[in-house]
Amino acid sequence: MVVRIRLARFGKRNNPFYNIVVAQSKSGRNKKPMEVLGTFDPIPKESPPGERGEPGEKARLVKDIRLDTARTKYWLGVGAQPSEPVWKLLSILGLVERSFREDQLRKQAHEADERHRAYWAAKAAESGSLSTDSTATITKAAPLDPQ
Amino acid sequence: MFAWLQGPGRGLRHPLKGSTNYLGAYNARGELVRTKGDAQGKRTSLAKPVRDDLDEEDELEAIREREKADNTEKSGGKKGNELPPERPQDLRPFPLNTYFKSQPILSEDLREEIWRRVQQDGSNIRIVSAELGVSIERVAAVVRMKEIEKRWVAEGKPLATPYSRAVLSMLPTTPFSPGRPPIVHEPINDLRVHPDTKHQVFVPVSESRHFTREDAGKAFSADLLSTEKRIPHPELVELEKDIVNGVEPRERIARARERMRQEEETRQKREEARKKRIEESVKVFNSGNRFMFRFEECNAEAVGKDGRSHKGVGWRYGVPHEDRKKGQVKIPKYVL
Repeated sequence: MVVRIRLARFGKRNNPFYNIVVAQSKSGRNKKPMEVLGTFDPIPKESPPGERGEPGEKARLVKDIRLDTARTKYWLGVGAQPSEPVWKLLSILGLVERSFREDQLRKQAHEADERHRAYWAAKAAESGSLSTDSTATITKAAPLDPQ
Repeated sequence: MFAWLQGPGRGLRHPLKGSTNYLGAYNARGELVRTKGDAQGKRTSLAKPVRDDLDEEDELEAIREREKADNTEKSGGKKGNELPPERPQDLRPFPLNTYFKSQPILSEDLREEIWRRVQQDGSNIRIVSAELGVSIERVAAVVRMKEIEKRWVAEGKPLATPYSRAVLSMLPTTPFSPGRPPIVHEPINDLRVHPDTKHQVFVPVSESRHFTREDAGKAFSADLLSTEKRIPHPELVELEKDIVNGVEPRERIARARERMRQEEETRQKREEARKKRIEESVKVFNSGNRFMFRFEECNAEAVGKDGRSHKGVGWRYGVPHEDRKKGQVKIPKYVL
């Protein structure tokens, strides 16, 4: 049987909260795990005032991850397999490589952005009168980093 | 009721300006007791023209001006048809309940002064509290509320000035008069009851032993400080000790300043350590989409061997979640 690093859903209705756990893959979602490595709060919250840069800076929306990286590295080292959502979180923290699938999706999104931009540029050139509004909105939307 | 409305209650239809309007201040014939001697029981009034045509930002100024005028008039002694200040009996809203006394609130001037000293002069709120005779919590609250008020004025938001004016005109207030010793608004050094001291303790002590407040604290709980360290203004005790020991005034002030400086230093050190800890343990990652990820390191082994400790990370297993239970504090108790 495979040991997995996966999420166990706690919290209330419409208010999810996850434990990041190490468990046997066949055991129930909320059964007692081998170890609780951390938590993941998927509901974005405003960053606390103590963690913003300048005193008056606007709050950013952040999702909270708490994790014991040493224990996580140990479990990864002995062959525990992260589930897809956990893989995503671990890749953000740099503990595992980004998944092939996600790389592909990012590449596709980047290409779509390029096409979109090219289309509007062509259209603007065609009409001659450059509508500043639409180009401004397009250039504002930051493209996903393909790397 | 109608008889009362026609008779003694008649005068209360038009509330007095610059005074409380409690029933306790009137006698059975509807006469204001404290002016009975000099004005034959006539309702005298301090009524001043209330300017309703002002902008809301100007209205606060108007209130302050009015209060200043009131203060100067009061200090200037009795004039024509001026009301004498309220006696303790006049501060009872319910005439039959002699124990209920209307407590004064901070005047607009005093609030402005508190804000000025803390935010503009950079005084410690503890010093401001001791100087003006307002409790530390109230000083902090006034500063917070004043900040909000000033922000709202800057943003052009409407203030509930008529409401504030009405309340201030109906309740007794603690005025601020610069240049004179401040009027003590409330007791500032009250000891809060510590939960550890709520039970009786019988401690046998030999007669030869000096049983001090320090020991009394320890008798209740091993780490409970003595009374003079738990009060809101322990520095006043130190100051008083210096006075009793006959320390020169100049030396006394120097010592007090030094103590204050040390205290501020430790506070700053603690604050810096806290910030450093946050900086080290918390990292924010940009995942490329609209949300950031805030990562904090934690210790998975803090749950202990039985996996039930409160210190452990995450939702606990096999323990009911008591968030619906009575008395659970849901608002944050501290700020990061």
